[in-house]
Amino acid sequence: MKMADSTTILRRNRPGTKAKDFSRWADEPLEEMDSTLAVQQYIQQLIKRDPSNVELILTMPEAQDEGVWKYEHLRQFCMELNGLAVRLQKQCSPTTCTQMTATDQWIFLCAAHKTPKECPAIDYTRHTLDGAACLLNSNKYFPSSIFTLFARVSIKESSVTKLGSVCRRVYRIFSHAYFHHRRIFDEFEAETYLCHRFTHFVTKYNLMSKENLIVPINEEETATPGESEA
Amino acid sequence: MGTNSGATTGINNKPVGAGGASGSSVVGGGGASGVGGVGGVGGVGNNSLSGVVGSGGIGISNNITPGTVGLGTGSNGSEDSGNGGGGGSTGQNNQQTTPQYTIPGILHFIQHEWSRFELERSQWDVDRAELQARIAMLLGERKCLESLKSDLTRRIKMLEYALRQERAKFYRLKYGTDPPQLNELKPPTDDAGLGSEVAPDSEVPYSSVSNTTWRQGRQMLRQYLAEIGYTDNIIDVRSNRVRSILGLNNNSEQEENVSPNINGNENNKRTAESEGRRTPAKKAQQNDAIILDTEAAVMANFEFLGTTEMSDDDEISDDLEMVSGENDDTDMKTTKRNKSSKDLISEDLDAEVGEQLLNDINLITEGYSSSNTTEQLNNTANNAAASAAARRNLITAVTAGGDEEVDASLGLGELAQLTVNNEAESSYDANAKDGTGGGTGSYRKTWNAKYTLRSHFDGVRSLIFHPEEPVLITASEDHTLKLWNLQKTVQAKKSASLDVEPLYTFRAHTGPVLCLGMSTTGDVCYSGGLDGNIECWQLPSPNIDPYDCYDPGVHSGTLEGHTDAVWGLTTMHSNIVSCSADGTVKLWSPYTKEPLLRTYTASEAEGTPSSVDFVRNEVDHIVVAYNSAHCIVYDTETGKQVVKLEATQEMSGNTGKFINKVVSHPTLPITITAHEDRHIRFWDNVSGTLIHSMVAHLEPVTSLAVDAHGLYLLSGSHDCSIRLWNLDNKTCVQEITAHRKKFDESIFDVAFHATKPYIASAGADGLAKVFV
Repeated sequence: MKMADSTTILRRNRPGTKAKDFSRWADEPLEEMDSTLAVQQYIQQLIKRDPSNVELILTMPEAQDEGVWKYEHLRQFCMELNGLAVRLQKQCSPTTCTQMTATDQWIFLCAAHKTPKECPAIDYTRHTLDGAACLLNSNKYFPSSIFTLFARVSIKESSVTKLGSVCRRVYRIFSHAYFHHRRIFDEFEAETYLCHRFTHFVTKYNLMSKENLIVPINEEETATPGESEA
Repeated sequence: MGTNSGATTGINNKPVGAGGASGSSVVGGGGASGVGGVGGVGGVGNNSLSGVVGSGGIGISNNITPGTVGLGTGSNGSEDSGNGGGGGSTGQNNQQTTPQYTIPGILHFIQHEWSRFELERSQWDVDRAELQARIAMLLGERKCLESLKSDLTRRIKMLEYALRQERAKFYRLKYGTDPPQLNELKPPTDDAGLGSEVAPDSEVPYSSVSNTTWRQGRQMLRQYLAEIGYTDNIIDVRSNRVRSILGLNNNSEQEENVSPNINGNENNKRTAESEGRRTPAKKAQQNDAIILDTEAAVMANFEFLGTTEMSDDDEISDDLEMVSGENDDTDMKTTKRNKSSKDLISEDLDAEVGEQLLNDINLITEGYSSSNTTEQLNNTANNAAASAAARRNLITAVTAGGDEEVDASLGLGELAQLTVNNEAESSYDANAKDGTGGGTGSYRKTWNAKYTLRSHFDGVRSLIFHPEEPVLITASEDHTLKLWNLQKTVQAKKSASLDVEPLYTFRAHTGPVLCLGMSTTGDVCYSGGLDGNIECWQLPSPNIDPYDCYDPGVHSGTLEGHTDAVWGLTTMHSNIVSCSADGTVKLWSPYTKEPLLRTYTASEAEGTPSSVDFVRNEVDHIVVAYNSAHCIVYDTETGKQVVKLEATQEMSGNTGKFINKVVSHPTLPITITAHEDRHIRFWDNVSGTLIHSMVAHLEPVTSLAVDAHGLYLLSGSHDCSIRLWNLDNKTCVQEITAHRKKFDESIFDVAFHATKPYIASAGADGLAKVFV
C-alpha cells in the first residue's frame, strides 16, 4: 500500500552498503533536486552513469549559470585527480622526477609557495591539488552566499578568472603523468576518461589555450562536437 | 557585646548599600530604554535606599562623633530604632550623657527624622497603590490577550479540521477509497516500530505529508537564513514570540522528561518577550493541557520553529516566577527547587520588586537580541541574577525598616541569612561555570560554531579528534583525509567563524574514505575506505608547513583483508577492530607481522555489520551492529557471542530500524544505537535488554558520540542538525543546525574532543564544523 504517488527514493549510502551499491540509485532529474548542492549531484550522477560519455557530462543544462557550471566541474576534476595522484605517489618519487616536467621544453614552478619553487613532480602534484582545494573552497573567492535558494547560483567574474589558472596548473599533472608515467596514465584514463573530459572541458569553455593542451587525446571524439569553439 | 552587634550591623548594611546603588542605576538604565512605569519604580528604589540609611543611620550618625560612649549607644540605637517612636526616646535618653548635644537639639533632630520618615512612608504607600493599580491593569490586559489567544487557537483548530476534511475529500475523489490512517501516511520505515515500542515515544503524529514538506522547507529556510547571518537565536526569539501570542508552552512537546530548567527558560524568554503582558507558567500549562490533543499537529510545526534549548539562567526564571507574584507559582517553585530561602523572599516580595525585576529582564532581553550571542546572555543573566539578589536584600531591609511591627533585630537576622544565601548562590554559579571548563558541556554551556573546515570536495564521512591537541582529521568521499590544526586559523571576513586551512592531505585510498580511528596516544591514525583497505598513517607534526615536501613515511601501512567497503573502525590500546560490507568484523594489531588477529562472522540472518565499537568498560568485548537491527557483543578472545541486544517486543517490526551507528558508554555497561527510524536506543550490555528508546531527530540518526566522562551524548542526523543530550535524564540540551543536504544525506559524523571543550560535526556538504 503505497501512499499517493510521492513515494520517494531515499538516496543514502547507509553504513554497510557494498562498494558496488555505493551511490547506486535511480537518477534524479536536476529540476527535482531541491538540495543546495544540486549541480554537484547532477554532475556526479552523470559521471556515475557513464564516465565515457564526456559530451553529455559537459552539456550544461538550461538555465544554468555558466560560472557555477564551470566551477562545479573543476571541483569534480580536482577531486578525481586525487586518484591519479594516489597512483603517481607509488612511482613518482622526488628522486626519479626531481622536477615537474612534461616535454623537455618547460620546467613548471610550483605556485603554492611565496616564491615559485622548483618542486619535485610529486610535490608539485600534491601542492597544486591542495592549493586548488583551498582556492575552490575559499570563502573569499567562492563564498557560501553563492549557495542561495536553489544552488550555487552565480560566481563573480574575478573568481571565474581564477578557474583558468587552476585549470592550467592542474593540467600539468596530466601531462607529467602522460610523458613520464605512461602506464599509470593509461590505466587511469581507461577507468575515468578524466584527461579526455578535462581537455574537452577546457576547450569548450575556453579556459586554456589550444597550444597548452599537449596530451594527445582521441581526436575523432573531440572533433565531433561542433560547439567546442563556443 | 555591644561592639559585636554594632559590627554586624555595619557589615550587613554594607552590601545592602551596594546593592541599592547598583539597583538604582540599573533601574535608571531601564528608564532610558523607555520601559513604562519606570519613574515610579525609580522613586521606590531611591526611597528604599534612603530608608535603609535612615534606619541604620540613627545609630551610625550618632556614633561617629562621641567616640568613647559611641560603641555602646550604637548598639542600642540600632536595636531600638526599629521600634520607631519608642526607639527614638530610648535613643534620646542615652544621648543625654554626651556633652556636645543639647536635649532639645537631639529631640528636634529625632522629631525631624521621624517626620521625614513618615513622609517617605506615605510616599511609599502612594507608590505602592499606584503600582498595584498598574498590576491590576496588566492583569486585565493579560486576560484580554488570553481570551484573544484562545479565540485564535480555536480558529486554527477549525481551519485545521476543515483542511483535513478537504484533504480526505480530495483523496476520496482521486483514489475512490477512504484515506489511510495517519500512520500510513508516514514514511513506510516508521510503520512497524512505533506501535510496538517498549518505551512510549511521545512523538507527535504528523497530520499529513505536507507537514513533512513544510518542515523540510522550514529547515531549508533556516539554513539559508543562517547563511546570511540570521542565527538560530533570532529565529528562536521570533518563534518564542509566536508561541507567546498563542500561549503554547514548549514543554508539552518535549519528549519524555522535561527538565524544569528548560521549561523555566522557555517561560523566561516568553515573558521577557511579551514585555509586561506576563503569562504565568501555570496558566500556560493549563491552556496547553486543554488544547493539547487537538493542537498536536500545530505544535509539531511549532516545534520546528527552533528549539535550541538552553538550560541557562534558571536564576532568572526563578525571579520571573516571583514577578508573577502568585501563590500557586510559589508552590510550583517549591516543588521545583528546594531553596527555602527563596520561598521566604518571594513571600516577602512586593509588587515593586517585581516591577524592578521585570525591567531588569527587559534590559537583558534587549541586550540579548542586539548582541545575538548567547554567551553574552549568560553573562548578563548572571549579572542580573546577582543584582537581583542584592535587590532582594534591599527590599527585605526596607520591609524590615519600614514595618513597625517587625523588630529590627529580627529584620537584621533575616537579612544576614539572606546575605549568606546569596553568597552560597553565587559560589554555586561559579562552580557551575568552572565545571564547564572541563569541556564536558555542563548544563550552562552553550555550544557555538567557531571553526568551519572547508577543503573537501565532497561529503565528509568521518572525523576524529586528537586525544590531546586541538587537532582533528577528516575523511571524505573525495578519497582524501585532511589534518587540521585549530590553532592555525585564518580570520574569515565578515563572520565570527574562523576558517582553518588543512595542514596535510592524506592520499592513498582509491575510493571514498568512510571511517577513521586514532590511537590513544594520538600519533597514529587509521582510515577505512570503500576500496576495502584500512590505511595506517603516522600523523605529521601539527605545525607542519602545508606545502612541505612529500614524506612517504606518513603512509605507514595498509591492512588488507576486507573484500568490501570498510564502514566501521574503532581503536582500543594498540588494537583496532573494523567492520565491512563483506559481512565480517576483523580485529587487527597494526605494525606487527600478522596484523590480522581474528575474524568474527555472524549468522547469515544478521546481514552485514554496519557499525562497531569496543565495549569500553569490559576488556576484550566488542559490540557490532548488524543489518538485522540487532547488536551482538563478542568476546574478542574466544570469538563467541556474549550477548545479543534485542528487544523481544520489537521483533515484529524491525524493518526501518536499521542501525547507523553503535557506541559504547565509556564507563557504564550501556550500548547506545542510532537508528534509521529516528530513534536513539539504550541497551543494557548485561541482560541485552532495551533500557530506553526515544525519538531523537526528524530524520534518521546517523552518528553518535559520548563525551569522555559519559555525561553527554551528541547525535547527528540527516535532518541537518546535531543535538546534545544529557545522558542523565535523556533530555536534549542543545540543537544546532549544522550542515546542508546532498541528495538525502546530511550529517555523517559527530565527535567530542577527549580533553578539550570542542565538539565537531561532519556533513555531506563537504564541510566539517567545530563548536566551542
